[in-house]
Amino acid sequence: MPDLLEPADPRGRDRALNAPSLQPEPALAPFVVVDQADEPPLLLFDHVTKWYGPVIGVNQITLELRPGITGLVGSNGAGKSTLMRLATGQLRPDLGSVQVLGHDAWQFEAKRHVGYSPDVDNFYEDMSGRQFVETMARLCGFSRLEARRRTEETLQLVGMAQQASRRLRGYSKGMRQRIKVAQALVHDPEVLILDEPLSGIDPVGRMEFLALFRLLAERGKCLLVSSHELEELEKLTDHVAVMAEARIAAVGTLAQIRDLLDDHPLSILIGSDHPRQMAGALLAMPDVLGVDLGEQDSIVVRARNPRRFFPELAGLVLEENYDVHRLETLDDSAHAILGYLLGGRRVEKRG
Amino acid sequence: MEESGSRLEVGGSRVGVGADGALTANPSSALNLQSSLESSHSSAWLAWCYLVWFCFLRQARARQMVWIALALLTLITTVVGLVTLAGRVGMEEWRWTWVGGNQPLRINPQEKAGPPVREPPIPPHYVRLSYAETAQGMQVLPHAIPMPSSAAALQDAVAGATRIALARSRFYLFSNWVVFSVFVGFLLPIWSLSFATEALGGEREGRSLVWLLTRPLPRASIYLAKFFALLPWSLALNLGGFALICAVGGWQGHLAFRLYWPAVLGGTIAFCALFHLMGACFRRAAVIALVYSFFLETILGSMPGYMKRISIGFYTRCLMFDAAAGYGVQPEKPSIYLPVSAATAWSILFIAAAGLLVVGMIVFARTQYQDLS
Repeated sequence: MPDLLEPADPRGRDRALNAPSLQPEPALAPFVVVDQADEPPLLLFDHVTKWYGPVIGVNQITLELRPGITGLVGSNGAGKSTLMRLATGQLRPDLGSVQVLGHDAWQFEAKRHVGYSPDVDNFYEDMSGRQFVETMARLCGFSRLEARRRTEETLQLVGMAQQASRRLRGYSKGMRQRIKVAQALVHDPEVLILDEPLSGIDPVGRMEFLALFRLLAERGKCLLVSSHELEELEKLTDHVAVMAEARIAAVGTLAQIRDLLDDHPLSILIGSDHPRQMAGALLAMPDVLGVDLGEQDSIVVRARNPRRFFPELAGLVLEENYDVHRLETLDDSAHAILGYLLGGRRVEKRG
Repeated sequence: MEESGSRLEVGGSRVGVGADGALTANPSSALNLQSSLESSHSSAWLAWCYLVWFCFLRQARARQMVWIALALLTLITTVVGLVTLAGRVGMEEWRWTWVGGNQPLRINPQEKAGPPVREPPIPPHYVRLSYAETAQGMQVLPHAIPMPSSAAALQDAVAGATRIALARSRFYLFSNWVVFSVFVGFLLPIWSLSFATEALGGEREGRSLVWLLTRPLPRASIYLAKFFALLPWSLALNLGGFALICAVGGWQGHLAFRLYWPAVLGGTIAFCALFHLMGACFRRAAVIALVYSFFLETILGSMPGYMKRISIGFYTRCLMFDAAAGYGVQPEKPSIYLPVSAATAWSILFIAAAGLLVVGMIVFARTQYQDLS
């Protein structure tokens, strides 16, 4: 079985991760059909860095994608959309390269192999869904008859064949998402870049989309699917890349990432009016490896298994009525991953 | 799409939902659905031709600036039509006023040594003659007042020349005011930018450019397709609008259109290339183009010496001066205006349009539009 997510080289991966590197599990999702580990990747980010003026968009990202589904999670501004726009040739990296089947992603040859469903919701609103998809097919160079045939097939595939004659401006968010996915599929690309495709879709529609994505993966397509909702991605794929602060903070299976967090000691700065009493209580907790007294009524706790530690910490604070005025994770990577794996939202830094 | 029990139908493919909520699919269904998608070939040339046609159709939806252009066309056409109907186009109806008999001095013949005597003031009388009446008066004067035949002949010659000059003044004035000042100086750039800035600017503002940029087409070819798509609309508006204004302008308008339409064609293409480039460079291209039209074209086009030679309007006017040279139309002060020949003007307009187009293709091909999403 192939590695769906495998950094191009271990050094690059290590640079992207503050945590120890991960090795994907040998047994992957069942929709990976052939072992292509020895073949060149369909989509390759090779030490890619992108700046927006003084702000860094993505930082030294190295990633190889082969057939299958890859989930991309991260907070707003983490760099997910930048990564996807680099893959679709809308942006050019300042450093490194992005390649689609060996073609520079910026060049038009690469776009033959890429289907893109953007997160923007702007269409040619006066068109019907059918006209829009057919237009996108014609712009891929298909004849009128061929474009129509493909349009009908993709509309059927996304479940929009019946409603596609209505104008786009009258569509619901879910219908618009379906049309976006249809236009991405219409030229049968090998690589599908789907930016928040599940956003605005009702539960039944989500199941249909998840099924569709798995079908596409079965056919050897490479899907990069971004989402804020890790739970949805978990239903779709076991392989995710977690982005935080313009870097790939973690990559691999969810189990591996969680194991990593459990095993990797996490440093947490806690500000309290009673640091000594609190330090004593913390040392009694099973997941706490050590406590250092810091400056200005603060303590630094080294703990493992954050999924268990944080609820216990909250219980301790409530039970003993400690006054906690500062709580900060000191490890950026872990900080970012925690935001997603512990409750699905970012742990805010304070202080 | 239907749901029955634990099975969903996605399009034509059956998808099962397991007891644990996991989705299972029938690969053969997917194979059937997508097998035909892989079988055909695409053509970049076909895609580009369709892009030109698609962009041409999208240009029809240019809204704001086109409505402004049409409103201006209506206004100017109405004014020109009313002036033509009133017969006020030429200098024939221009009037000059001669004021006579205001407090003349008279020398008293009996008292030569004495001071002149001021007679009681005579009320002034005003004579208001049109240029046409003056010319007619000059022609009839030799017949009303006996004068030597040589003087009468001279008077006849002056009167005839004046009548011819007055007759030609219609075309001269129409050219000078309606064509050079209003049309070339104002309408031509405004009308050109209404479509040219919309071609890319509209897509950028509407955030729909992403659909074109993710198609398998070279970026430079997208820029070129947009230009070819906007050109028919701009030419139709500029040449059609010019024809309409000339049509309501009487015979001098008809003559002006016959002489000047090639210059309008050349100016339109150059302006469109410039404003299309602005659309690739600026997010608010229409505003930048308006500022350019109102200030730079106007100011540069009016400056003495060689500075005006970087304005497109200058070369358009030079083409018009050259076309109407046989009708006595020329710059008011040729030594200051320093017009160029028609061949030079054509060459520069062509080089400018081609150069701006190439620069635009390079700029568009290299620019990363970060405002797409």
